[in-house]
Amino acid sequence: MNLLEVNNLYKEFYKEDKSSIKVLSDINFSINKGECFVIIGPNGSGKTTLLRILGLLEPPTEGQILYYDKDLSNISRKKKVKYRRKFSFVRQKPVVRNTSVFNNIAYGLRARGMIWEEYINDVNDIIKLVGLKGLEKKNARSLSGGEMQRVAIAMNFVFSPEVYLLDEVSANLDPMNVKLLEDFITEIKQDKEKTIIMSTHDPLEAIKFADRIAVLNNGQITQLGTPNEIFTAPKDEFTALFVGYENIFSGLAKLDESTGLTQIQVNDLTITASSHIEGEVKVCIRPESIGISKNPPSNVSYRNNFKGNIEDIRDLGNICHLIINCQSERFLATITKLSLNNLELAKNSEVFINFKATDVKIL
Amino acid sequence: MSNDIIDGILEAIRLLFTFDRELWGIIEVSFRVSLTSTFLAALVALPIGSFIGLREFRGKKTLSNLINTFMGFPPVVMGLIIYLLLSRSGPIGSLGLLYSTSAMIVAQFFLAVPIITGTAKAAIESVDPTLKETILSLGANERQLWWELIKDSKKSIIAGFLVAFGQAISEVGAVMIVGGNIRWETRTFTTSIVLNTRMGEFGMAIALGVLLISIAFIVNYGLTRLQARGG
Repeated sequence: MNLLEVNNLYKEFYKEDKSSIKVLSDINFSINKGECFVIIGPNGSGKTTLLRILGLLEPPTEGQILYYDKDLSNISRKKKVKYRRKFSFVRQKPVVRNTSVFNNIAYGLRARGMIWEEYINDVNDIIKLVGLKGLEKKNARSLSGGEMQRVAIAMNFVFSPEVYLLDEVSANLDPMNVKLLEDFITEIKQDKEKTIIMSTHDPLEAIKFADRIAVLNNGQITQLGTPNEIFTAPKDEFTALFVGYENIFSGLAKLDESTGLTQIQVNDLTITASSHIEGEVKVCIRPESIGISKNPPSNVSYRNNFKGNIEDIRDLGNICHLIINCQSERFLATITKLSLNNLELAKNSEVFINFKATDVKIL
Repeated sequence: MSNDIIDGILEAIRLLFTFDRELWGIIEVSFRVSLTSTFLAALVALPIGSFIGLREFRGKKTLSNLINTFMGFPPVVMGLIIYLLLSRSGPIGSLGLLYSTSAMIVAQFFLAVPIITGTAKAAIESVDPTLKETILSLGANERQLWWELIKDSKKSIIAGFLVAFGQAISEVGAVMIVGGNIRWETRTFTTSIVLNTRMGEFGMAIALGVLLISIAFIVNYGLTRLQARGG
């Protein structure tokens, strides 16, 4: 059973003159428990509206939202409160109540009927965690933008919801707060009971956290898939232009003491990277960083050399996209038409791909 | 004529500073009636107004127009209606309320209810919709949301109370009709000014006028302070 299932969702807003604007149409997807689902799309594509509908803050015009098969699109106000309490909604521009930092952060727990003794420890813990210690008694509205965003994070995370709805939360943050937020997301991701649904217009953020990505354009989901599916094979021109192309792999990184480089085990493949990170990682290699040769390269500086098979060639005019299978993994490489012709590359022929360890970006 | 003014002002000063018993009786009646009516109106109008502001429902626009119309309801007509209801031959004439401060409270109550309802509704509606959503998404139920919105817009709501009180205490038509301007009993600032002016007792009229303007000033000063204060 899916945690959430969205069926034929349609949403329109009415303007003053009674005419309507279509915001979302034909939205269908389902989300599993423990998943990090990222909605990516440009400004005005309907991301916020979709998240607000999922958070039961806005009713859909048509369609269903099922939470463990229970239809939430047409329930009473009272029931809505009950289900809303399973979600938290962090918005891009935080709004806080006109009261102290402490009271703002404690609000969610108080609203759920908890008393002082029950919430005081949780609230103090999260205040320390987000670095607001000493500011508890200050009015939250008198804080700076960054501090207010910390209050917003703390007040939405303190009640430990089942589903985190994050609406472009990192868009207005300074690097320190981005780090804080990303640490939180990473921690939540490890808890398989918790589900994250986030929207962003930043492809790198999507790659970093997403188990699956939905591309939203003009109120419609144009593509849905794993990060690698989306970034190596964008379905249409819009997606290609918007997300760009990336080779994305997940693997286990280990530092190789003898070389000082990091070895990332991606299924059958071992990719070498220059940055020092250990543990579960995602790596990105830009298609234009991948070199192609017909024969096994010798005496080259590239740390990564793999034998592969050309699965497909897409002609894009001056340049071509090659889809190359190297054992368990698929790579996308960009080369010029000239090189393609010079190397006499054809579908199903054997090639060697190579890229530098410094071109492997670890997220 | 100019003598009248000077004599009047001197007499007013004398009355104010010798704590004239009749003058203070009038002040007491005016305040008791207007404070009571505004307070009772607030008890009724605040829940209604804030509820209308909070919810979206069919016919809300019509209802809002109706409230706005009643916010400017002519007090003298309200006086007439209450008079007809309370007069001996009226539907609730048997209560014997006519020409009492109770009747005046009733009249002012009905004048104040639309004012407080309208301002409370507008106050709740003017709260930033994203704040409303934030409170909901933090898990608030409707009662909790309502309370948070009241707290957030308390300045505008208090301003509504002050406006209603200012209207009540300076209103003359309704209290004249249903109170009857009975000396020591139902005479207020305004009805007394009318009477004393007619009788040529300018001293009393000016003294009351000065007091009434002072009250208006204090109420307005309070409003301005309220609006100027941050948070």
